[in-house]
Amino acid sequence: MRDPLSRAPFSIIRLFLVCCSLIVVASSAHAETKPTTPFGVPVQQGAPSAFAPPQAAPLRAHGPFGALLSWVADTQQGMQRDLATSVKRLKSGNAIGAALALAGLSFLYGIVHAVGPGHGKAIISSYVVANEETVRRGIMISFLAAGLQAVSAIVLVGVLLIGINASGLQVNAWSNQLESVSYALIALVGLYLLSTHVMRLWRRLRDGPAVQSAQSRAAHSHGHHGHDHHDHHHVQGEACDHIVDARQLAGPFSWRKVMAVVFSVGIRPCTGAILVLVFALTQGLFWAGVAATFAMALGTAITVAVLASLALGSRQLALRLGGANATWANAVWTTCAIGGAMVIFLFGTLLFIASLGPARPF
Amino acid sequence: MPLRGLLGRQRLIKISLAVAGFVGFASSVAAHPHVWATVRSEIVFGGDHRITGIRHAWTFDEFYTAMAVQGLDTDGDGVYSKEELQPLAQVNVESLKEFDYFTFVHLGKDDKPLPLKEPVDYSVEYDKTLLTLHFTLPLETPLDPKAKEVAVDVYDPSFFVAFGFATDAPVKMTGTPAPGCAAEVQKPDPESAADAKALSEAFFSQLGPNSNFGSQFAQTAIVKCVTH
Repeated sequence: MRDPLSRAPFSIIRLFLVCCSLIVVASSAHAETKPTTPFGVPVQQGAPSAFAPPQAAPLRAHGPFGALLSWVADTQQGMQRDLATSVKRLKSGNAIGAALALAGLSFLYGIVHAVGPGHGKAIISSYVVANEETVRRGIMISFLAAGLQAVSAIVLVGVLLIGINASGLQVNAWSNQLESVSYALIALVGLYLLSTHVMRLWRRLRDGPAVQSAQSRAAHSHGHHGHDHHDHHHVQGEACDHIVDARQLAGPFSWRKVMAVVFSVGIRPCTGAILVLVFALTQGLFWAGVAATFAMALGTAITVAVLASLALGSRQLALRLGGANATWANAVWTTCAIGGAMVIFLFGTLLFIASLGPARPF
Repeated sequence: MPLRGLLGRQRLIKISLAVAGFVGFASSVAAHPHVWATVRSEIVFGGDHRITGIRHAWTFDEFYTAMAVQGLDTDGDGVYSKEELQPLAQVNVESLKEFDYFTFVHLGKDDKPLPLKEPVDYSVEYDKTLLTLHFTLPLETPLDPKAKEVAVDVYDPSFFVAFGFATDAPVKMTGTPAPGCAAEVQKPDPESAADAKALSEAFFSQLGPNSNFGSQFAQTAIVKCVTH
């Protein structure tokens, strides 16, 4: 009696892995057969003599978390340099080794990179907490969103740079536009969730406790008749208590809602992916960039999925803390349903306003 | 009063605070740069031994370089000439204005950065691997470093760009510096009193659009003079 959706995340993961390995193999073959050089000039080995690039001192932040923050920044920089090196090695050195290194590095970069803002961690985590979602669906949503971000970056770079021969500055500008659109959509999704959840709360309070328990009894017995999304949510202490009905504030699963979240988060191309794609393109290895982007998306998806699962786990924990106390369980569900929707709305709005600021120089 | 029983107001407040705190902390740790720039700066002195401006040379990482020069070889000859790259320099310095050129000049302990004029003598240099942006920022009014030390902070408050001084020759003085003056990069002091302030600012500002997270990574060049 598993709902068919529960299988979805794992087939998506498999599909991702297959895609990545196929593309990596294809790109290494491509690299072996066509040793292209950037701009049609011979590749320079090492730093050119005319201009020695300066070495930057490692960043050091002040403050109690300085060491940690500096480590995060340094790791990022190191990874980005390694990525650049492995793209270049595709042409000169051992192509298969370099392709594997590129895929592995991109994957790790994705995992670390997703910790940064803009990959929908907060949005997806809040969404699954505010709605009656399971860990499996949280994972599925994370993978779909990361996949869409990858596709968005590839389409953007592919169409603008290969298709219409635009400049890198235009890619930047378009990427910023899509970012604003994404944030606006996120705010709208948040507003929609918030208004439906608040409406339900208001109706519940108006109808009073008598109707509530009748409703929840109905819902409960309903569950035994095969609507299993009510079944597997029952936790200790809650299962036998028929007055936990605030859960119904959090809307049930619907593809429409999930797709709205996936689309609003996923339409924003991953900035890291754009950088790798453009760099790979200038090295004449666009396909390596595409492979790297998917490997990166896989890493991003894992980070986001882990965070979404943690968020769901803490909701379970919060429910469990109350023991058999139905008031407590109601409070937790109410907080999650209203708070989660509010976080999505506020994040989307703040990010949207911030994204309307002046265009970044770099 | 179904609402009060339902929510348990104090508990709700505690939960909300915990969530807000977690989100704030997570995102402040999470902000990370996408562009790296290695900074070399010249402190420009006028004939009267006063500082008239700052001349920057910012060398960008390979990824940003690839992005920035893409499509600028307009005649397709494989060479990025000065003329082909000048529009990029133009766009860069023009959009830098909104971000105060990521350069904050302070006199003594004064918190308020001194006003800068529009950049002059700007250009970009591309060596087929890395891009360097050169520009000079004149000070609105020339500064006398003999009276009070002059600090030049270089950082992106949002930490999208990570600025770091070069290990080799990060700052130098040009023109006619006053005798006894020296310019050097200030080493961050982890014990300094400003840190607690920086942390609380970083912590709370993360939730708003005007994030000042990057100030923790500020790179500071100091001009000090010994008077006899």
